[in-house]
Amino acid sequence: MNHKELIAAMATKMNAPKSVVEALLETTVKTCAELLLGEKTIGFQSFGNFEVRKKEERLSVHPATQIRTLIPPKLVVNFKQSNILKDKLKDLPHHE
Amino acid sequence: MSKEKISSQEIVDLVAAKALVSKRAADEFLKVMILTIEEALLAGDVVKIKNFGTFKLHWNEPRKSVNVQTGEDIILSGYHKVSFTPDTQLRDLVNEPFAHLDAVQLDGEPVEHSIPAEAVIDPLRTFNEQASEIKNILDEIKGLSSKPVVSELQDVEKADIETELEKFEDELPKQTQENLSMAVETEQIVGHVDVVQPVQETYTNKVEESNSTDHEYIQSTTETIPEIESEAILPLEISEKKKHKAWLWILIISVLLGGSGLGLCCFYPPLKDSVYKMTQNVSLADMLNTFSGWFTPKPKKVDMTETVVIPKDTTAMETVSENIAAVDSLQVLFDNPRVFTEYLGTERIHDGSRLTKISKRYYGSKDFWVYIYEANREHISNPDHISVGTIIKIPKLDSRLIDVSNERCLQKAKELHDIYVK
Repeated sequence: MNHKELIAAMATKMNAPKSVVEALLETTVKTCAELLLGEKTIGFQSFGNFEVRKKEERLSVHPATQIRTLIPPKLVVNFKQSNILKDKLKDLPHHE
Repeated sequence: MSKEKISSQEIVDLVAAKALVSKRAADEFLKVMILTIEEALLAGDVVKIKNFGTFKLHWNEPRKSVNVQTGEDIILSGYHKVSFTPDTQLRDLVNEPFAHLDAVQLDGEPVEHSIPAEAVIDPLRTFNEQASEIKNILDEIKGLSSKPVVSELQDVEKADIETELEKFEDELPKQTQENLSMAVETEQIVGHVDVVQPVQETYTNKVEESNSTDHEYIQSTTETIPEIESEAILPLEISEKKKHKAWLWILIISVLLGGSGLGLCCFYPPLKDSVYKMTQNVSLADMLNTFSGWFTPKPKKVDMTETVVIPKDTTAMETVSENIAAVDSLQVLFDNPRVFTEYLGTERIHDGSRLTKISKRYYGSKDFWVYIYEANREHISNPDHISVGTIIKIPKLDSRLIDVSNERCLQKAKELHDIYVK
């Protein structure tokens, strides 16, 4: 499901025009990004938490060429599902 | 990093303020959004939000674990996990503080795995082996220098060398046949021998040179050259007077000569005509032969080749080629079919007899049982099961063949073992 499909699905559920939904979604995304930039954790109830984590710098060695490279530290967005969502997903059969 | 948590309600408030909609509308919107995403995920779909990221389901396999309290094995069941991959825009935005940092290569150039030296330069490996061997011999000579070995050398020295030269000449054609790559070198060697034989004096000079190749070995392997050298020069200066005093002196000098480097050669170029030095040099060569005959049979060969293969200038290339020749003389010994004429004794096989045990008793290593088997093939059908009462003969073997300290002898015996025991 891509962005457009998501908006379409939401619009039918809310009985609202797509343009409104799209604007609202954009605002939400912007707000989330701003909050994350402010090093805050965003918790959506029954869904999960978004947070920014710092990955420390590390030394990697290319296995074939043996070149050692210093990877700089970085900040990444991490999502952790809530237990409610996890329980919901339990019923889902997995296809292997 | 302080982590202030923003709840759903706060998000609703913020979105409502920004989008200029009522809080109720914003709240409804967010709920629907999450519901839709969940539904899509439950349907096994991937949800992509522009400029935000992608939600995906990921199956974590069940795995084994141990109950820490009871020590029992437990199985953690598998579960689905919602993985979130941030969009490039969000990722870059979040990583802004560290965006200027780049991965740094610490090594200027790739570290190449050095090709295993043994595989490529086999001659060089044997060269090193022999260098250390010669080093050992020299050490042992030092230790034995007080023994009255020298008297026997006095008479036979020249004759000995000449006979050995002839012997070596006989061997050379065999080697050429076996080793084509050596053909050119061997020709050189023969050529040199021809030159050497008529003129005894040039021979001595070249012996001197060959000694210096000998020195090269040692120089490459030992770090103790300088002190030996200084010792060596001193006795040489006064040696003219002491010549008749004792052979012991000459022995020591020769040993030191053996240890000294190329520099010695440069210091004493006019060694050529001195009678004393001639005897000295010849005795050195001969002594090395005798000594090596005591300890390991192989170096004897080495010395002979060294005396014969006379490099005009002592380059590493030629020393390597000498080594090939020396090693191959042993190879010739291995490859020739063994003829057993002399016997050390006989053994009667009884219950519990083993060829390996007999070999251990006679030759010092159980690996050489193969030679006993070779000598008694007509009596033994299966080396593992020899019928009781069989009388086997113990052959007298070339001492070079059953040198316990020589790795190649053991190697050869093992090869034969593999052939005979299938």
